[in-house]
Amino acid sequence: MSQSYDRGLIEDFGRWREFTAGMWAWVFHKFTGWVLIGYLFTHIAVLSTSLQGAETFNSTIQGLESLALVRLLEVGLLAVAVFHILNGVRLLFVDLGVGLESQDKSFYASLVLTGVIVVASVPTFVSGAF
Amino acid sequence: MAERYSSFRSGSTAWLLQRITAAFLVVVLAFHFFNLHFVTHAANIEFAGSQARMQNVGYFVTMVLFLVTATFHGVNGIYNALVNQGIEGNAKRAAQVVLGVAGLLLVVQGIRVAIALAGF
Amino acid sequence: MSTQTPDTETESEAEQPSSKPHHERRLAEKRERAETKEAERAAAAQEIKGETVELKVFRFDPEIEGKEEPRFDSFTIPFEKGMTVLDALIYARDQYDSSLTFRHSCRQAVCGSDAFFINGRQQLGCQTQMADLDWPVRVEPLPHQDVVKDLVVEMDHFYDQMEAVDPFFDPDDLPEGELEEQRQSPENRENIKLSTRCIWCGACMSSCNIAAGDNKYLGPAAINKAYRFYMDEREGEQKRQERLEIIEQEHGVWRCQTQFSCTNVCPKDIPLTEHIQELKREAVKQNLKFW
Repeated sequence: MSQSYDRGLIEDFGRWREFTAGMWAWVFHKFTGWVLIGYLFTHIAVLSTSLQGAETFNSTIQGLESLALVRLLEVGLLAVAVFHILNGVRLLFVDLGVGLESQDKSFYASLVLTGVIVVASVPTFVSGAF
Repeated sequence: MAERYSSFRSGSTAWLLQRITAAFLVVVLAFHFFNLHFVTHAANIEFAGSQARMQNVGYFVTMVLFLVTATFHGVNGIYNALVNQGIEGNAKRAAQVVLGVAGLLLVVQGIRVAIALAGF
Repeated sequence: MSTQTPDTETESEAEQPSSKPHHERRLAEKRERAETKEAERAAAAQEIKGETVELKVFRFDPEIEGKEEPRFDSFTIPFEKGMTVLDALIYARDQYDSSLTFRHSCRQAVCGSDAFFINGRQQLGCQTQMADLDWPVRVEPLPHQDVVKDLVVEMDHFYDQMEAVDPFFDPDDLPEGELEEQRQSPENRENIKLSTRCIWCGACMSSCNIAAGDNKYLGPAAINKAYRFYMDEREGEQKRQERLEIIEQEHGVWRCQTQFSCTNVCPKDIPLTEHIQELKREAVKQNLKFW
């Protein structure tokens, strides 16, 4: 069909205003997933300093934790992890066939709850860095 | 029955394992975060403290399980995201190999770290 | 092609010399009426009384100069109560541009021909009220499918996926006795009732991001079709197993990420995601049996 025109993805990010709840959930879950697996590799790498002894381990950890940027990134990590967990629980319910009628409401609930938990945790996370 | 048996890895196994590891991770990841940011603040983490935790056999085993399930869940997640995007042929084979190897390396390194932290 | 019958009368008909003056008069009157009608129509084209709605339609035609690059054409449609998007498109085609091309047939949401992307959502043209939409109304062809011309998309891929699940009935054996029926309980019918409503419009498949990315994905409509037969108690055990094997392949049910877009856009309100989920659980159960 060399004559037909391929418009590519219509539902690309240019049309984000038209996204449904289920679609946002899918996009965010994917995005947070990538961040988390990326973090997992980084985390094991950082922890690997323990193989070089206690002093290296301690100075690495404390060095990182003293950076304000790292503290902020940790808040971001919390947000990402909490959303992935909450939406993940929502998906588990969907997979079990429970509560399919309110699947979009449960997505909004996970967003709100993520926000609440993150905001509540900020003081603990950034204490001592500023 | 022979042909039926060989096809049991139909895709349902990976799907089910992703959900089972998910359920496990929901609890353990939440616990891990809570433990290492609220019970002990991140800035106060140091080798001695980690060693004290890891020397508890139950904790050690949980952490290793945590590592294995998280690696599976994450790597399987990436693989599925790629298949959804339409990866095929050689690229798919390559992705399978790279992801498999990366996952394996991560688990091996993680266990080495766990043992080092526990001082076993 | 105008749908109105031509307003001409063959003049060779019944010409009797005795009625010539009457005949002449009639012809003259006819000509006058035609002229006033034409004038009225021309006037109406420039100035439509009453409420009008702007219809923006995607145009594309690789064979026509000027339409090789897609563009949007605007039509001013006089609004009438109860007007559907299909009505508006037909008006635009009949009154303004007869080259405007789109599929439509039954106009009552059973043929599945006129699925479009209206104001950013997959909907059937005949089922969507103009009054329910934000104006101006944007009509585009279904996403994620190649456009042949204007609002017409390639449906071959969709049909291929539907055929891939063997969408036909296959009992293991026929009942004994020539006049014996294949019975189905009311409960079983109730279970599959919704899945039988599919009109093959393609809206669901075009709304699924996975179907867009992964060309081999069967798609919600095909999996729903498999569900319709799998869950039917009249189906043979042999065929059931075969059907399950088809949909539990890598690009079958496992691709579904429960995005729910298909369920949202289905014009027949089929709970597609739910059916796909049930088949996933069924596949897991069947496979666990062999452990």
